[in-house]
Amino acid sequence: MKCHIPGPNVKVLGRTIHALARLGDELYLESLSDCILLRTLNAAESAYAMVKFNKNFFSYFNYNYYCTDDKEGLKCKISMKSALNTFKSPTHMDKQVENLEIKLDADSCKLIFVVKCKHGIVKTHFVSILDCKAMQAVYTKDLVPNRITSPHKILSEAIGNFQNSDDQLTIEAFSNSLIIRNYIDSKTDLTKVIRTQISIKPIEFDSYIIGEETTITFTLKEFRALLAFAEALSLPIQLHFEVTGKPAVFIVHNGSTFEAHFVLATSKPDIPTQETPTQNNSMIDRKRKEVDNTQGTVRKKAHLSIDLSKCLDEDSHLFNFIDIPEDGTEVEKENQTQKVWHTSKIDCDNIPPSPTSKMKLKTIFKRCFESTFDVRSIQGNVLAENSDSE
Amino acid sequence: MKFRAVMMDSSPMREFANIVSTISKLSKECILRLSSDQLYFIVSEENNGPAPPILWCEVPQALFFSEYQIVGVDDEHKDIYLGIISANLSKSLVTLKTAKSLKMKLTKKQCPCLTLEIDLPSITMQQSRLVTHDVPVIVIPRKLWTEFHEPRVPRPDISIELPSLKQLRTTIDRMKTMSPEVVLRASAEGRLTLQIKTDLAKVSTRFRDLRVEAFEGPIDHSDSESESQINEDVSRVCYCRVDAKKFSMFLSADNISHNRTICSIVHKKLVTLCLQTEENVKLQCFITGIVY
Repeated sequence: MKCHIPGPNVKVLGRTIHALARLGDELYLESLSDCILLRTLNAAESAYAMVKFNKNFFSYFNYNYYCTDDKEGLKCKISMKSALNTFKSPTHMDKQVENLEIKLDADSCKLIFVVKCKHGIVKTHFVSILDCKAMQAVYTKDLVPNRITSPHKILSEAIGNFQNSDDQLTIEAFSNSLIIRNYIDSKTDLTKVIRTQISIKPIEFDSYIIGEETTITFTLKEFRALLAFAEALSLPIQLHFEVTGKPAVFIVHNGSTFEAHFVLATSKPDIPTQETPTQNNSMIDRKRKEVDNTQGTVRKKAHLSIDLSKCLDEDSHLFNFIDIPEDGTEVEKENQTQKVWHTSKIDCDNIPPSPTSKMKLKTIFKRCFESTFDVRSIQGNVLAENSDSE
Repeated sequence: MKFRAVMMDSSPMREFANIVSTISKLSKECILRLSSDQLYFIVSEENNGPAPPILWCEVPQALFFSEYQIVGVDDEHKDIYLGIISANLSKSLVTLKTAKSLKMKLTKKQCPCLTLEIDLPSITMQQSRLVTHDVPVIVIPRKLWTEFHEPRVPRPDISIELPSLKQLRTTIDRMKTMSPEVVLRASAEGRLTLQIKTDLAKVSTRFRDLRVEAFEGPIDHSDSESESQINEDVSRVCYCRVDAKKFSMFLSADNISHNRTICSIVHKKLVTLCLQTEENVKLQCFITGIVY
């Protein structure tokens, strides 16, 4: 594969790489006969992003440059850091760079970026290829009941009201309004955090279709990356989502040349009042186990990074979290069996890897094992009334 | 206990946001005392005993709020005292500068909260959106109210108007990198001197022709060796050594549109800085003198 990207488009690619770098540590590049796909997955596997650059994004595009017989696309995985090195300071890139050439040879172990700058300066980056596999998530974006198209400004202004310390966001979509608020974990001390809520009228959005009223919670960090991306390119954002627990897909595209999908896992809300001490213990226990549990991670990985052929199954929803039965006895039983299994495992040679500091496993997995809660059960039941009689 | 207030005009809202942001720079936590005619922000140092609070700020409600209702616990205790993390309040009020209206009320949402409902205009259309911040507060029990009474300060020996705070701040910020303490010296002739001394240098900055509001001389300098300018009457000069950092912190209040700032000095004991705005907001800062 060999392609040329003209100066102004290099900036777009630079922005893309920077946005993806805020999600994952590895970048997957796949070249198909008519487009290039960039993908990444975050460490906690709760966020995935895919950006597709069509043929007309490039000034020259030759998929079969190295004359390979391979009909399947060329794939490679590189580290995000090295990709970032190639695209330092995307803001000034369009002024300095005249042309960017990307070369990928099926037999080579390097991905080559040739940056042709003004005044005849040529920078060549040889980026080591870590793997030759592609990764793809399965999600539906077209057949979802809830779709909102918003100018990026509306959303970024709304998100600006939240604190930097907020890490998750809840969107409550109703047919007559959209409510965004910061998600408060059942373990957070309510006397320490500001609870913020924003209600936006549907008329502010370009289009607003809510087929099924729902509440979704997802991470704010990745959403901020997406907003920054949309803002840099001043493009609107499409929000496609189903119900709680199903992944939400955020789309930024300019119609013809490129399309970016950010897929974020959504989780169920829980309320602090539900928590009991016994449940709490088992939760901590399980959380630790999940982190240590190599088999569990492997299983989860396999589920997520299955190769293309296996991914076509529409029903395999990627980011589904496992629902924990609300029944306390069942939880305990399950916990015991896990414990037994855990102790027997210690004897094995299989030493679980220590979690790296970069991984946000702690926060992600915690959520999976908290008592699930159905939002419908509290509707109409006011927990605390306002002091004034409004 | 009930509290509800509405702000509608943009300039008081901007001013209010500035006051709160200044207070958040001065301290981590503050006490918000609500009474029928004033709002008070009080900052007291931890374990400072009977000393006055560091900061005492009075905001008359009538000029800020178009609607203001307060109901205390009973007829004898009409006020409400709230403990609040000042940064939380200021961060929530950042958007107030562009807001259409602000509604403040005391609510109980699993914990006591000061609910701030900000009506923000939307850039694209004539629409507006409602942002609600629930800032957690602690309701201060009545038995602790005495700790937050208005400070009684000794009669100052001199009260002198300060030059522009911005100018003063740049001076102090340079000085505080060299020495942790600064000597404030004010004379009845309208001279203010900021002085630091280190092993290597002695730096003084003088401001002249400042208005002297009051002078209760003569000052007794018998117990100290004092250096002064030649041909200056020592008995008409008083001074106080203060923490440069605390002094500089107060000067960050320059983003409040004030009409005058008075510096009152109790010889060698206390410096009181008082900023007053046209809306009659009074922001007072008390810095105790350092005595060797």
